[in-house]
Amino acid sequence: MENYNSDAVPSSGEREFLRPDLTGRDVAIDVNDLHITYKLLKSYSIKKSLFQLKKTKAETVDAVRGVSFSVTEGEIFGIIGKNGSGKSTMLRAIAGIFSADKGSIDLHGHTVSLLSIGVGFQKRLTGTENIMLSGMLLGYSESYVRSKMDEIIEFAGLGKFINLPVKTYSSGMYSKLAFSITAVLESEIMLIDEILSVGDTNFRRKSYQKMKSLISNQDRTVVIVSHNNDQIRELCSRVLWLHDGQIKMIGKTEEVLDAYDRFMS
Amino acid sequence: MQRFLKDLKRFWAYTVYSAKSDLKDEVASSYLNWLWWILDPLLFMCVYTFIALAVFHQGVPYFPVFVFIGLTLWNFFDKSVLQSVKAVRNNGSVVSRVYFPKYILVINRILVNGFKMMVSFVLIVVLMLIYRVPVSLNVFYVIPILMELTLFTFGVSCIVLHFGVFIDDLYNVIQVVLKLLFYLSGVFYDISRRVEEPLNSILLDLNPVSMLMQSARQCLLYQNHPDLKLMGIHTAISFLLCIIGIKVIYQYENSYVKVM
Repeated sequence: MENYNSDAVPSSGEREFLRPDLTGRDVAIDVNDLHITYKLLKSYSIKKSLFQLKKTKAETVDAVRGVSFSVTEGEIFGIIGKNGSGKSTMLRAIAGIFSADKGSIDLHGHTVSLLSIGVGFQKRLTGTENIMLSGMLLGYSESYVRSKMDEIIEFAGLGKFINLPVKTYSSGMYSKLAFSITAVLESEIMLIDEILSVGDTNFRRKSYQKMKSLISNQDRTVVIVSHNNDQIRELCSRVLWLHDGQIKMIGKTEEVLDAYDRFMS
Repeated sequence: MQRFLKDLKRFWAYTVYSAKSDLKDEVASSYLNWLWWILDPLLFMCVYTFIALAVFHQGVPYFPVFVFIGLTLWNFFDKSVLQSVKAVRNNGSVVSRVYFPKYILVINRILVNGFKMMVSFVLIVVLMLIYRVPVSLNVFYVIPILMELTLFTFGVSCIVLHFGVFIDDLYNVIQVVLKLLFYLSGVFYDISRRVEEPLNSILLDLNPVSMLMQSARQCLLYQNHPDLKLMGIHTAISFLLCIIGIKVIYQYENSYVKVM
């Protein structure tokens, strides 16, 4: 982080319209020839394995097949592609939840957090407890999370629900809480999976604003998966188009999105 | 091993906090709340004492306390292992979102059940006072005994946690195995007197649970000290199990999510 080129940073006044100049900055994410395979018959019962000894060959699905790219520190990187093209799988692999079957992912020691819809909470526990747990799982100390607690609660805007078990939440409230935790407890790399369009209009605007302020922070690297082309167009500097687990196109936002629009229509 | 210590340090605060929340949640979601931690072993103690005394006409001095000590240790082991089988699946929402070493789930169960065991131990002291059990300094041997039990439980739990991810019905199998072990461990009878030679020493020496149960009773109730050599061997085996468990989890944990 120390060795970014301060001369290349535009003054804060211009920043709103200029994407950060990233020349001379370190690489935050290196993905090299990534392959990820799901084995469909992985989980089995003992009865099955006793009676179907012959049929042991598991059917496999190649979710990601040989993808290589790198993301620079401070970059907002978009990933697009139709459903099932391997976007979420790849994000999970970057977050360290999956192992790559082949190839490598190097985060150069950055902290990373994944934000996706509807996952990540202990349903029986209250919102506050879940904030503590999520924060500590992301590697923050108890006292740090506690000091950020009010900010998170305020951002989530759940009112009295924050002290009720998460199982009583609506799906919108659920996502709002998830977004607030990751947005307030900022990690160096944020992976955002389809979450910018959650919540009511009010919250959506708020989270969109938050995203924009994160972008102006030169040290934050963000990878966004979204089906909302307008958002990608406004937020991202570069876009990767995944198709059936392979890179169809990678490059400047406008070019890739135009090609993608043509392809989809 | 170094990685284990580093990860343990990093996630320790999380583990403790989540164990606390789990305990709090258990209290909040039942009517008699924490009383159950005491009532549960106490009522089972009555059941087994009744069966042993009224049906089989056999007993040993301080029989209810004898059963209660057995049950306390057994519950800790039994629950930790059984809950570990499904731990990854039950925590699927967290597992699929952020990386953490999966044995943290085991440690969580051990902390929760260990706390309940401590509550139970308070009751053991009370029972010992009621029955006026004479004590000697040997009672302090109970500390290494509990440590060894924790170690053994951790090792076994880690291993079943790993296989539990891949084998759907392992839970049922483990349940049966644990039931068998329960009856073999002499929770409510005295193995050394009730079972013939040489089977009784085999049951006592080879089964870590019964060995620890026997040792705990010896030092708490009968002022004896446990067989230290035997304890040493079992501790070494438990260490080995822990290392195997941790190794296996580290090697395969990143494919757990793909299976679920």
